[in-house]
Amino acid sequence: MTLTHLNQRGEAHMVDVADKPESRREASASGYIQMKPETLALLSEGGLPKGDVLATARIAGIQAAKRTHELIPLCHALALSKVTVDFRLDEENSRVEVFASCRLNGRTGVEMEALTAVSVACLTLYDMCKAVDKDMEIGAIHLDTKQGGKSGDYQRQAHTSATPIVTGEGMAGQVSVGTRCDIDSACVRVKFLAELRERLGISELSLPLDSLPSADVGGLKAALVKRDARFAKLTEGRVLCAVNQVMALDPTPITNEDEVAFFPPVTGG
Amino acid sequence: MIRVQQAPFDTGEEQRRLLAGRTDIGAVVSFTGLVRDFNERPEVTALSLEHYPGMTEAALGEIVCGAEARWPLQGVRVIHRVGRLAPGDPIVLVVVASAHRRAAFEACDFIMDYLKTRAPFWKKEHSTTGDYWVAERESDYRDAGRWESDNDDTP
Repeated sequence: MTLTHLNQRGEAHMVDVADKPESRREASASGYIQMKPETLALLSEGGLPKGDVLATARIAGIQAAKRTHELIPLCHALALSKVTVDFRLDEENSRVEVFASCRLNGRTGVEMEALTAVSVACLTLYDMCKAVDKDMEIGAIHLDTKQGGKSGDYQRQAHTSATPIVTGEGMAGQVSVGTRCDIDSACVRVKFLAELRERLGISELSLPLDSLPSADVGGLKAALVKRDARFAKLTEGRVLCAVNQVMALDPTPITNEDEVAFFPPVTGG
Repeated sequence: MIRVQQAPFDTGEEQRRLLAGRTDIGAVVSFTGLVRDFNERPEVTALSLEHYPGMTEAALGEIVCGAEARWPLQGVRVIHRVGRLAPGDPIVLVVVASAHRRAAFEACDFIMDYLKTRAPFWKKEHSTTGDYWVAERESDYRDAGRWESDNDDTP
């Protein structure tokens, strides 16, 4: 592994990308700004002195992505084909989450642009809200995904999620077996395998049986989606399910200590 | 006999063991699947195979039982590897023995078709342009479907 921005003498230099092939590049990044619950309430009601906070921060993030090369010394100027900046008001944790994604067909990656968009959107949120809250804190700015280019695709593992619900780690090629429920009451053990595990960023968890609206696979999916929106992936596309290692469908009943696995279509042989 | 293992296997050795001490077997067919260096993308450098321990063995057992119910077989061996493999490495071995060749050929074909669509294995390919999970193939389901449509013609 080498640092591409250093030349053989260890001096900073700009990487010559003229000979690299053009390809579709995409990157997404996220971060958050923590604030007082009162500030978040004012923000969502539009009661802050500087006006529409989110619209302003969105424009700031998009503008920043386009000007990344002016801020980061060795970045190339890029003709971005798409920049999006989105916000999620997280009342539970009293913070605004900021998501940015950038895309282009070109010779260099766009992760710096996505990270810059998130950073500047967060700073703009600070600026717009600082009259009522000076304790705000910007945090966890990181790359989530990156596609295209020689170094290949990257997907951040979700182990640093703010509310960790991971109860076990699965290595590629291995799935732990026979784990007991880690809750006292009647419960169901859920496993996520292969690509689904990577997309969800979780390998297994336990859920109290009484949190299921109905004691079957369909009820389990509903309970998971209620717990965390990313489990909506379980109802999209082709996701297969097995209860106690036998193929199952939504109406398949679930009882105490059952092991339920969700996985993509099989590709062995 | 069904095995899921990380270690490589020796096709000749497995076939010898299946036939050892038997004189009633008239035909033995074996299929070995190998890692290709191209698939969804060119320049595949390695393959990671993941499975669902417990369910994998049960699913393979059911497939072998299905074959034994359709053809008169005198021995079956299925070995599937998991973990990280390189191009050229053997992934899967199916050896089928019968008194007559037709049953052995067809049962071997049947077991592979069902293995590809029913056994909980997943492949992740590592290529020079990145890693990706292999997508399911429509043709694999068509292949497996053949055994359902001509159900009545098979002895």
